[in-house]
Formats: sequence, C-alpha cells, structure tokens
Amino acid sequence: MVNTFHPSTIPSYIPKLLTALPTTMIILLLSLAISLIFGVLIAVAALNKRKALNVFAHGYIAFMRGIPTLVLILMLYLGLPQIVSSLGGDMSGVNKLVYIIACMSLTTTANMAEMMRSAYLAVDKGQREAAYSVGMTGVTALRRIVFPQALGIAIPTLGNNIIILFKETSLAFTIGVLDFLGRARTLSAASYGANRLEVYIAAGLIFWFFCFSFEKITKLIEKAYTKGRKKAAS
Amino acid sequence: MIDFDFMMEAFPKILLAIPVTIGISLAAAALGWIFGLFIALVRKYKVPVLSQILAVFVSFMRGVPLIILLYISYYALPILFYDYGQSIGITIDVTKIPAVAYAILALMLDQAAYSSEVFRSALGAVDEGQMEAAYSVGMTRMQGLTRIVFPQAFAVAMPNLGGLFVGLIKGTALAYYVGVYEIMATASLLAQPSYSYIEAYIMTTMIYEVISFVVNKLFHSGEIRLKKFRTGIAG
Repeated sequence: MVNTFHPSTIPSYIPKLLTALPTTMIILLLSLAISLIFGVLIAVAALNKRKALNVFAHGYIAFMRGIPTLVLILMLYLGLPQIVSSLGGDMSGVNKLVYIIACMSLTTTANMAEMMRSAYLAVDKGQREAAYSVGMTGVTALRRIVFPQALGIAIPTLGNNIIILFKETSLAFTIGVLDFLGRARTLSAASYGANRLEVYIAAGLIFWFFCFSFEKITKLIEKAYTKGRKKAAS
Repeated sequence: MIDFDFMMEAFPKILLAIPVTIGISLAAAALGWIFGLFIALVRKYKVPVLSQILAVFVSFMRGVPLIILLYISYYALPILFYDYGQSIGITIDVTKIPAVAYAILALMLDQAAYSSEVFRSALGAVDEGQMEAAYSVGMTRMQGLTRIVFPQAFAVAMPNLGGLFVGLIKGTALAYYVGVYEIMATASLLAQPSYSYIEAYIMTTMIYEVISFVVNKLFHSGEIRLKKFRTGIAG
C-alpha cells in the first residue's frame, strides 16, 4: 500500500464541491420554511390543554427524537413507493429532492416545535397577566408582549437547529442526490478512489466554514435583538 | 402490502445486531466522554497552546457532519497505521482492521467535542467557593476536582449526557456506510433480496425507538440518584 495522501490538493477540490451548493441550499431553505410552519402547529398542539392534541404533539416530538434520520430517509424513499404502488398509486416520477426535503422537514419540525414550546413557556407568566390587565386581548398580548420576548429566547436554539439541519442535509447522498457528499463521491469515483481522503476533508472544511458562519451570524443577531431589552426571566 | 412472514423471520436476526449498536455506542461514549472531560479541563484552566488547539478541534468536530467524519476515519486510519508500522520497521496489514474501529473512532471524536461543551458548562455551574473550600481544608487541585467538583458537575451534566447518548445511538446507524453490521445494515441487507424495505425499516424504527426510550429512562433515573450532589450548585 502506497501513501497517496496529498494534503496540498485539498483546496483544489473545494470549488468543485461548491457546485453542489445550490442543491444543498434548496434542501436547507425549503426544509427550514416547512419545519417552521409545521413547528408552530405542533408547538400550539403541545401547549394545548386538550388531551388528544397534547398527546399527539408530544408523541410526535418523542418519535422523531428516537428515529435515526437515515432510517427515516430510507423508509420513505424505498418503503413508501411500495406501499403506494400496492394501493394502486405510482411514485416513480417523484423527484429525489422531494423525499429528502420531506425527511428533513419531518425531523426538524420536532426540533422547532420543542424550541417554540420552551421559548413560550420561558416568558414570565406575569408578562401576559400584565398585558391582560391593561386591556389587551389574547392575540394582542401574544403579538406585542409574549412573542417578542420568546423570540429573543429562541434565537440561539434556532441557530443551533439550523446548523443541525444543515449537517443533516449531508445524508441526501444516501439516495443519490448530488449534494456536497454526492459530488464528493463522484469526484472520488472519477479518480478510482485515489483522492477520496482529500475530497472528504475538503467537504468537511466546507461544512465547517458554513457552520462556523451560521454560529457567528446567530450570535450577532442575538446580540442585536436582545440589546436594550430586559433579559427574560430565566 | 406488508409481508408479515418476512417480518417474523427477519426480526430475530435484526435483534441479534443490537449488541453491536450498543457496544459501539458504549465504547465511543466511554472513550469520548473521558476525552471530553479532559478537553473541558484544559479549556477551563486555559492551558496555553493546548487549549487553543482543542478549541479548534471542538469547533471542527461540531461543524462537520458525522458521515464525513466516518469517511475520513475510514480512509485516513489505514494510512496512519501503515505509516506508523513502516516507521517502526514492520508492515501492518491494514485490511485486518475491523470496521467497528473506524466507527468507534469517528463517533468517539464526535462525542468528545460535544461532551466537552457539556462538561465545560457543568464545571462552570459549580460554585467557585466549592473549590476554595476544598483548598482550605488542604486538598490538592486533583482531590478537590475528583472529590468535590466532579460529583456536582456530573449531576448537572447528566440530562445533557443522556441527550448525547441517544444522539450517539442514532449516529451508529451511519456506521452502515463504513461496513459495520449494526441494526441498520442488518435490516437493509435482509430487505434487499425480497425488496421488503418497508417491513425492514418499520422494525428498525421500532428497535431504535425502544432503545431511545430505555436510554432516556435510565439517564432520568440516574439524574434522580445524583440529585443529592446538586446542593452546592449556584442557581
């Protein structure tokens, strides 16, 4: 076995891998938007006093926390079309991106719901009572008093959830989507695996760069948003 | 629609892979958390140079998806071993390295980075006065840490460690891609000949859900047992 590792070639793979950036960003942004919308619904259900809704929301969050994303992806991608076709449907025309976005949305929705629920509960109860006491309605109190404070509490977790989601998009390659890792695999296959270590290190550096940037941006936004606001009761 | 015969037949075989998943997780957690505690201490006491190097290490490990860490470990480890063997004058047959070694290495490094953050905040949550009190009765720093600070910090870290461990078990599903026959790989291989994917992955999901549930319960009861150490914690 000859050592074929050439660290100096790592930077040359970065631009080649970055051609996959639009694919990854589409997955990231669409999953983010979908999971924020459904996250609200699950969070509202989890905070609801009606037993059925409450059990459903908490069950959903617990279920998603227990299942590895890879299992969910393969179950949806390989399993769902079988079920559909045995019912007389046909899913062969569905784009692979749809499966990935669906899986990412399903798992991220649970994280987002949990984030919203705990941020809502972290706002001091007295704030809402004070709002009611000056004659605000429930909706006004939520919009003007509770939401702005809950948002400040949720920003760090939101940033963290986006980073988790971004890292999870790396699993898109498992069903053949050409994201960063999908590109990395084709690049390493093109050289019969000779440069595979360099390619994967380059992919790792790209992820690191983005995660690092997301983290810094989150800190800046948090700082700007909470500036001048009284820190919510912790 | 659902092939129950396949499920009956395959389920015991998938169950046999549980020890592999649990074994990898325990090994990665044991090694990773010790390393994580070490990183946390180095960063807390700001050991020059080492502290900065480890800060970059933690940032990198947290920014890179686990699957990439697994691939890097899978491709880099044989080269490292081979070169080391050559440097001491022996030829190591790297094909003999078991696949679990790559998985454990990658998962361990991942756990080291995440747990170091957990330990760092847990150590920070223990009141400074506790260590001062330990010094005042003549304990060395080592004694103060192991006898006074660690038990309290551990009580604070427990819930987060539980979360990390569940994440770790879920992460082992990716070891499939470096050739480890754990739950996920076993189920996928069993499903292939008859295309029984939905059945195989339903069983896989059930197994992971049960394991996560049990782990959560175990850590929760551990948390309750450690509560007696929480008295000295500020806030």
